[in-house]
Amino acid sequence: MSANPGLLKPQKQIGWATWATFIIAVLFFWSLIAIEFSPGRMIQVPGQIARVLSFFYPADMAYGWSAVLPAIIESIQIAWIGTIIAALLSLPLALFGARTLFPRIARFVKLISATARAFPEILLAIYFVPIVGLGPFAGALAIGISSVGMLTKLGAEVVESIDFGPVEAVEASGGSRILALRYAVVPQVLPEIVAHWLFRFELNIRASAVLGVVGAGGVGGVLLNTLRYRHFEKAAAVLLLTIIVVLIIDMVSGEIRRKIIRG
Amino acid sequence: MNVAPPRPARNWPLLLGTLGFLVGMTWWSGHGIGFSLTELLCNLPGGQRLLQESWPPDFAFLPRLYAPFMETIYIAIIGTVVGGILAIPIAVLAARNLTLGPIVWFADRNFMNILRTLPDLFWAMMFATAVGFGPVAGALALSVFTIAVISKLWSESLEAIDMGMPEAVRAAGGTWLQMIQFGAIPQGLQHYVSYALYAFELNVRASMVLGLVGAGGIGMILETQRANFEYERVTMIILAVLVAVLVIEQISESIRKRLA
Repeated sequence: MSANPGLLKPQKQIGWATWATFIIAVLFFWSLIAIEFSPGRMIQVPGQIARVLSFFYPADMAYGWSAVLPAIIESIQIAWIGTIIAALLSLPLALFGARTLFPRIARFVKLISATARAFPEILLAIYFVPIVGLGPFAGALAIGISSVGMLTKLGAEVVESIDFGPVEAVEASGGSRILALRYAVVPQVLPEIVAHWLFRFELNIRASAVLGVVGAGGVGGVLLNTLRYRHFEKAAAVLLLTIIVVLIIDMVSGEIRRKIIRG
Repeated sequence: MNVAPPRPARNWPLLLGTLGFLVGMTWWSGHGIGFSLTELLCNLPGGQRLLQESWPPDFAFLPRLYAPFMETIYIAIIGTVVGGILAIPIAVLAARNLTLGPIVWFADRNFMNILRTLPDLFWAMMFATAVGFGPVAGALALSVFTIAVISKLWSESLEAIDMGMPEAVRAAGGTWLQMIQFGAIPQGLQHYVSYALYAFELNVRASMVLGLVGAGGIGMILETQRANFEYERVTMIILAVLVAVLVIEQISESIRKRLA
């Protein structure tokens, strides 16, 4: 076989992949040793997980309906308000962040959006909780601010990819830059930007679900408390209801997004 | 003669319905979470005080961050490697064109979607309860989170591969495994590496906050300092985290761009 050069394996590709695998393997085992995740410890893990899981059954649904569902609804409300805040702030930022429309301002806007994106929302919530007090309002502000970064970036990318014909047409017929934005840019980008908003809403549901950990409202605090006091049947109700509600919202939102993109 | 084409008719019921839903949902949510601009404005002086307390960051605290910071990175590496490996079969079986059969596909797909519904910190809380507080819980939580991220993205790019190669392997008498190994995975490899790096970025960011629920890493120090209202130190930790996250993202992004 090897007499035929056409059947030789591409040597260069293999060499690169082998090196990468080797380095990753070294880093991986080094990390295992560093956090003392020994083989003895690994063997214990499945048993420990199975033991806790066995306590999860049956889920305490009475607690689920009375205490968990309201908390999940609060999480949804936090995510919604956060997404609305982010959508309103990011729409103008996305327009000004487009390199093709505003080359000079865009650089500055992109810097702001990169900084906002770097903060996990839960760290922002740590700051908002002392300012507006414990509760969902702090969570909504944290979600809103941290979503602005990503929505601005994605929105600006959408704006940068538009067809410039209509913009030139508006300006050629005497319209100002602002009119061009209104009649040539916004109609082109709105469907995709709204789809990004919906996607961010799906992500924000998950983000708002954990904010309760730092006292910013929602279902995360409930889960933390039920696990802390070893009320595993109640924790099971939290997990079950969260999974169901998030699945439903994902499905609905995903369907709407597909419809919007198709037009 | 009027040459302008007629304006497209608007679907008023849909438009008004959507608008009504948006306004209603926003009002209901705003009411539910106690959104109030007056409260925000009234509390701004308190915010100013907080900012004064949290500035300047306590740089003397920086050396004590080294060990927990490295722990964070270890957790992210383990989570990405374990999750990345386990995601391979899950993604392959969830790709409609490669899966073993409709039942396997359906079960795997739903398993994947359910994994995806729970946020990273929920996994961290559960593993911390099961295996005890510490980095092991964090590594396990990120492994599950990584499976969810990579398998979803990669199964979609596997569905888009050219089926000629896998069919050729099959036609030459290859088994299903050989078809996956020689026909499908080489085509999806580039995407896989790119998604794995993306998952690593997410994991570094997530592992910073895992400690808030006791799952190891720098978040554990953050939680104690926050509980003691040592906001100068909180600021120091957050600044260090931000710099680290941005640096790792830049490196990872430049690798991903080179791959693409």
